[in-house]
Amino acid sequence: MALNERNAGNTSGDAERDPRLDRLYRGAGRDTPPARLDAAILAAAHREVGARPRSLTSTLRRWHVPVSIAAVVIVSVSLVILLREEGGEQIVPAPVPAVAPPAEQPAAPGRQPALAEAARETTQPQAAAPAPPRRGSRDDAKAPAVLGKRADSAQPEPGPPSMSGAGIVATPESAAKPLPQPFLATPRVAEERAAPSPGDAVTAGKMAGALSVPSEPLVARSAAEAPQAKSMARAVQMKPPEQDRLPVWYGFEKEPPQKWLVRIEELKRQGRAVEAEEMLAEFKRRFPEHPLPPGSK
Amino acid sequence: MTLSAESTDETLMLLYRDGDAGAFDALYARHKGGLYRYLLRQCRNAAAAEELFQDVWMNLIRARAGYSVQAKFTTYLYRLAHNRLIDHYRKNSHVAMVSFEAEDCEAIAELPDERERPQDETLDAKRQAGRLMELIAGLPEAQREAFLLQQEGSMSVEEIAQATGVTRETAKSRLRYAMVKLRQGMLGWR
Repeated sequence: MALNERNAGNTSGDAERDPRLDRLYRGAGRDTPPARLDAAILAAAHREVGARPRSLTSTLRRWHVPVSIAAVVIVSVSLVILLREEGGEQIVPAPVPAVAPPAEQPAAPGRQPALAEAARETTQPQAAAPAPPRRGSRDDAKAPAVLGKRADSAQPEPGPPSMSGAGIVATPESAAKPLPQPFLATPRVAEERAAPSPGDAVTAGKMAGALSVPSEPLVARSAAEAPQAKSMARAVQMKPPEQDRLPVWYGFEKEPPQKWLVRIEELKRQGRAVEAEEMLAEFKRRFPEHPLPPGSK
Repeated sequence: MTLSAESTDETLMLLYRDGDAGAFDALYARHKGGLYRYLLRQCRNAAAAEELFQDVWMNLIRARAGYSVQAKFTTYLYRLAHNRLIDHYRKNSHVAMVSFEAEDCEAIAELPDERERPQDETLDAKRQAGRLMELIAGLPEAQREAFLLQQEGSMSVEEIAQATGVTRETAKSRLRYAMVKLRQGMLGWR
């Protein structure tokens, strides 16, 4: 190798730059691309930016944090609303004692609005909750807060005289009584309750009658008992529809065929022919090989 | 992130990626000369250099959406140019590519010993520059590329290695041999 020692020594260390060569190279010529090339490239660059929208990745990169924050906020608010709505049914406020002794109330007729206000305040957490109107419990949710109004609004509605403004107070016992079939919360009934209709008015009137108070002394009592009545009424409403329509053969699933036949005979004897037929059909389905009694074929 | 005279190349490219055409103008103004000279002195053909030059910038424009800062912008730009140049060499097989495959470091022995030139010969800077350009043109491609990247791209050895896809030692070796040859060729030209 002809590389002499002096040159090798010059290049072995910090020899990647040579000031003299740098200077000479700088003066060697400053060739530049032709102007038409500049114009073409710049036009292409501008066209690229103007023609194409920003790529998805760059857009996502830019909006990554704001979108994430917004998503978290939306999910959080939705959860809070949902939990408040669902949790509100379980967190029933403790019944407050009567606001004023019944004896004092007749003496101060002007206090009726104040009492109503007090009753409203006792139920304020639920009334103030921004729960959206729920189909099955829309009227019930408002019941404690608008007791007085409900009584008024229920009066003109066409309802049974015995139920409308008859002074029926919602007690746990009355709430536990079996309710008329239309009152049960089947999906169809829930739909009807959601949309105002004459039937709905009747039902609302019944509810109003059940929760309304005819006279002032009962206002406080109603206010105290309304949450209980409300929760119980809601419990009735929240019964699954399957329990309302138990099949006639319910409970006989594991019974032998003989017991089925005995039950069918009983139903027939009781004149419940439809139910007997229903149970017989189920019997045939379950025990196709079992011989049927002569009268059942 | 806004466009200003002090904006780095990387910032400008990010701005362009995000739709700022003015950032590209600034970027192009900074690097068009160096890139053009690099290509021109590598392929020694003005028409081919212009075509390559345009291709490199168009590739950059097309790749803008996926750009992210992973290295110096000059490294990125000259890497594109290096790749385009290799394609050019492959398509034009008559162009010698020997020096990209063999380091050709012994070629320095063939250089005329310019020290034999009379020392009192004074030449103006223009003639010295002309002599230097002759020497550069006579370098093997890989060594010439290393020298041009250093001069036009202001790149360090590490950046040259990145742009050309070789190890640091290889890049350093190429650059060193190029410098030795150029110095030796210019010894009597002062």
